[in-house]
Amino acid sequence: MPVPDAPTRGALRADLDVVFRREYPRVVAVAARVLGSRDQAEDVAQEVFLAFNRSSVPAGEAGGWLSVAAAHTALNLIRSGRRRASHEETAAAAVPVAEPDVAEVVVTLEERGRVRAALARLPRKQAVALVLRHSGLSYAEVAAALDLSPGSVGTTVRRAEYALREELTRHASSH
Amino acid sequence: MRHPTDGVLRRLLDEPAGVAGTDRRHVADCARCLTALAAAREDAALVGAALTAEADVDVPAAWARLSAAASAPARTPAPAPARTARRGRFGELVRRPATAALAVGVVLAGAGTAAANDWLPVFRTEEVAAIGLDSADLVALPDLEAYGDVVLTGDDGLRTVADAATAEAESGLDAPEVAALPAGITGEPEYQVGGEVTTTFTFDADRAARAAAEAGETLPTPPAGLDGASVRLVAGPGVAQVWQSGSGAPGLVVGRAVAPSASSSGVPFETVRDYLLSLPGLPEDVAAQLRTFAADGSTLPLPVPSDFVSTSTEEVDGEPATVLATRDRTLAAVVWVEDGEVTVVAGALDTGEVLEVARGLR
Repeated sequence: MPVPDAPTRGALRADLDVVFRREYPRVVAVAARVLGSRDQAEDVAQEVFLAFNRSSVPAGEAGGWLSVAAAHTALNLIRSGRRRASHEETAAAAVPVAEPDVAEVVVTLEERGRVRAALARLPRKQAVALVLRHSGLSYAEVAAALDLSPGSVGTTVRRAEYALREELTRHASSH
Repeated sequence: MRHPTDGVLRRLLDEPAGVAGTDRRHVADCARCLTALAAAREDAALVGAALTAEADVDVPAAWARLSAAASAPARTPAPAPARTARRGRFGELVRRPATAALAVGVVLAGAGTAAANDWLPVFRTEEVAAIGLDSADLVALPDLEAYGDVVLTGDDGLRTVADAATAEAESGLDAPEVAALPAGITGEPEYQVGGEVTTTFTFDADRAARAAAEAGETLPTPPAGLDGASVRLVAGPGVAQVWQSGSGAPGLVVGRAVAPSASSSGVPFETVRDYLLSLPGLPEDVAAQLRTFAADGSTLPLPVPSDFVSTSTEEVDGEPATVLATRDRTLAAVVWVEDGEVTVVAGALDTGEVLEVARGLR
């Protein structure tokens, strides 16, 4: 696969348009799962695509690269405390209480915030694998993006989910 | 037999085909594994619900933002907010710079009409022609809301109806019948109907002056009578048929609507045109192109980002038609006006395919 040269400052990669249209919705979805805010997720996605534009990552590998970069950038945003509280509130008000396919699971807005904070404290590979899987990447795609064996993706995701469930349970039992 | 690991159980929830048959059979008959599987399912659902976030995006707007930021760092304006409050699709379009340009074009297309104190018909669309803009210009174009009030009425969005007969009854339009579907498009279309939409732009001299000052520009002195003058654009109702492609994305869209018409109140259109052309932020080459539409008055300029859309002109049923294609050849569209109705055929197709559908409509 041809590897494009990184463009000079101010130039666009020839394949940026195609990659952007194909991957942008998913990149936003990945960041939104971490941040809970579409507006902030779109800011993260813009940052990630600008980085991709400066890189020489082949277009065929762009999907995984961009998703991983979006997850890392969003997690960094939480950890660095750069998120604005108002965004949290706006996002919390905008999201539905539960997804239709898990309608029996009711998660309060407070719990969402706690889960996202706990997500940022997980081992980074666990957090990224979890977010990518919940964003719809297949096990093979998550494995390729994180340099894991497909067999270990399930283990990594399960550990992350267990840790987040524990976080919710621990908090609930302390009240 | 040993029990499968938690990781295998977790994958069983998402991708059972990725789990070995021996493991699947074991789990089906093992109470301990079934319990662990249920716990994994609960945890996955809980975490999935906790991480839910709305992520519906406007890809063309995001692309315009990115390409402006990436290609012209020295002249890029401050990034636009990722999204503003949710509005109907048409409402979002009206608020976006590309459609601000369209509205400017509507105003300009009316040049030559005499002054009037009452609403007067200015033009009724007879043709559509594309104006080339690059993405950076689209971002830089003035948003008309910075220059006055933009009021949108009738924007109830598209609604899906059961069949062609209902669509025709509700829209008052004949739904075009496609003679032969292109390769890769199969099945029955979904019918959608939209009502009449009216946009009124009322010039506000004070607001325009503030907007110009914030951009570091000086607003040219508005001519007498312009403050408070209005332009009204009416379009619709319309009917659309949407076929899905194999991937589930819209593969072919055939839409027809009552073509836009414009009317004005207040001042002569030449006055409005010349003033809007002088506003800071309108690139000179765009202004020059827009002026060329003034003579006819019946052509609706359609601004397209020329760096990723190419345009050409063809004929459909003896009418001039504008053909648009993304430069990556993933999408194509053809738009034309006939008997006061604008028709568009668009899809994940090439230009030859959309033209074939367009010319075969009955």
